[in-house]
Amino acid sequence: MKTYEDLEGDGGSNIIGQVVQLGEKLRSRLDKIKHKVALMSGKGGVGKSSITANIASCLADRGYKVGILDADLNGPSIGHLLGVGNDLKLETKDDGIEPGHGYQGIKIMSMDMLLKTADTPVMWTEEADATAVWVSTMESTAIRELLADTNWGELDYLLIDMPPGSDRIDNIRSLIPELAGAVEITIPSMLSQHIVTKSITKNNKMGVPIIGLVENMATYVCPHCEKEGKLFAGEDVQKLTERKEIPYIGKIPFDTRVSQSKSGSLFYSEFKDSIAGKAIAETVDNIEKFIKK
Amino acid sequence: MKFLCIPCDVKMEVQTEGIMPEEKQNLVMKFKCKKCDYSIAMLTNKFETEFVSKLGVEMGGASDVSKSPMAAVSSSLAQAKEELKSTNPEDDLIWTEEAEQRIKKVPFFVRGMAKKTVINYAVEKGATTIDAKLMDEVREKVGM
Repeated sequence: MKTYEDLEGDGGSNIIGQVVQLGEKLRSRLDKIKHKVALMSGKGGVGKSSITANIASCLADRGYKVGILDADLNGPSIGHLLGVGNDLKLETKDDGIEPGHGYQGIKIMSMDMLLKTADTPVMWTEEADATAVWVSTMESTAIRELLADTNWGELDYLLIDMPPGSDRIDNIRSLIPELAGAVEITIPSMLSQHIVTKSITKNNKMGVPIIGLVENMATYVCPHCEKEGKLFAGEDVQKLTERKEIPYIGKIPFDTRVSQSKSGSLFYSEFKDSIAGKAIAETVDNIEKFIKK
Repeated sequence: MKFLCIPCDVKMEVQTEGIMPEEKQNLVMKFKCKKCDYSIAMLTNKFETEFVSKLGVEMGGASDVSKSPMAAVSSSLAQAKEELKSTNPEDDLIWTEEAEQRIKKVPFFVRGMAKKTVINYAVEKGATTIDAKLMDEVREKVGM
């Protein structure tokens, strides 16, 4: 009786051929992007998307071509932060979908751009018996398609705004093996520091280069007199970076104007000379230094 | 996965016209021995079919549907924008609401093939409308 190896081809679906084709499509898209950087946190609500948007703003200000992939599928906020509304009409071509063009020409792709209305949640089926396996597999497939089927064009930087937690990095790592590294973001609270440690440990184990840790909301800056004060009680974040042997690349104070910036206008471009603006610029200096190493 | 006809010692070939998933995401794929014409069906449960979906591939080979941008997202995302939905040239056929709902319940990675099976049957039959009755006929034809 013949064995598996004796039979030519596969069961008739050409699965290997299809997978190769999908890989080639992704590769041709990614080859036009010089540096891919993931921005992640352990805990949600630490200002990760806001930092991502402002780092993109600073990079664009320095003359780089920048894109942001909003990998936070269920809590997309990049479109809102960069002024690309849900009402944007999608331009679909045979080779891909045009990204949204946000403030400062930053290209973005986000689930929010694909949904019918701004308050529509991401649901892969409206069937009540949808299994968790189904949702999880669809999310992996969606990340691949958002990366491979967006007409990013030539970019210097693609920033990937990750969802809270560290689970999605496996997915990103397998899709983008040449990932320049991950920027970890935390606030000074003990809880946030505790959770970001897990993300750092996981990246170390997986061999994902860690560009460094950003301490967001490190202090509070009075918008009137620019005096700084402590916002959270917690251990010095710098000690955490020493313990985990990773660079401390930014100490960004909380500035009420960050959340007050109008949709489509980013804090950094408006207030680059403020204490928080300068801290964002310093963080970008450190990211650039790491990448040029 | 490959299937061998033991009496003939020949690889069985997938019958693309025979791919017809059930609405509950169970899948039937038919294979035939080209030497003795003996047919078998491979049955998978929804967990097995969901697992295949992670690769973003289609059973029975890639269809035009899978080549369009964001094919998996557009065909699986509930409440996606209209312009994201790809259109096929064969879609001159009218789908009744019930038929559309039934095809939407098919997992995305075999939906293209399932749709093609239904369309081919309708064209062959000279039908201009695809309704639930016609879809039942297709099912019967592929042996479900």
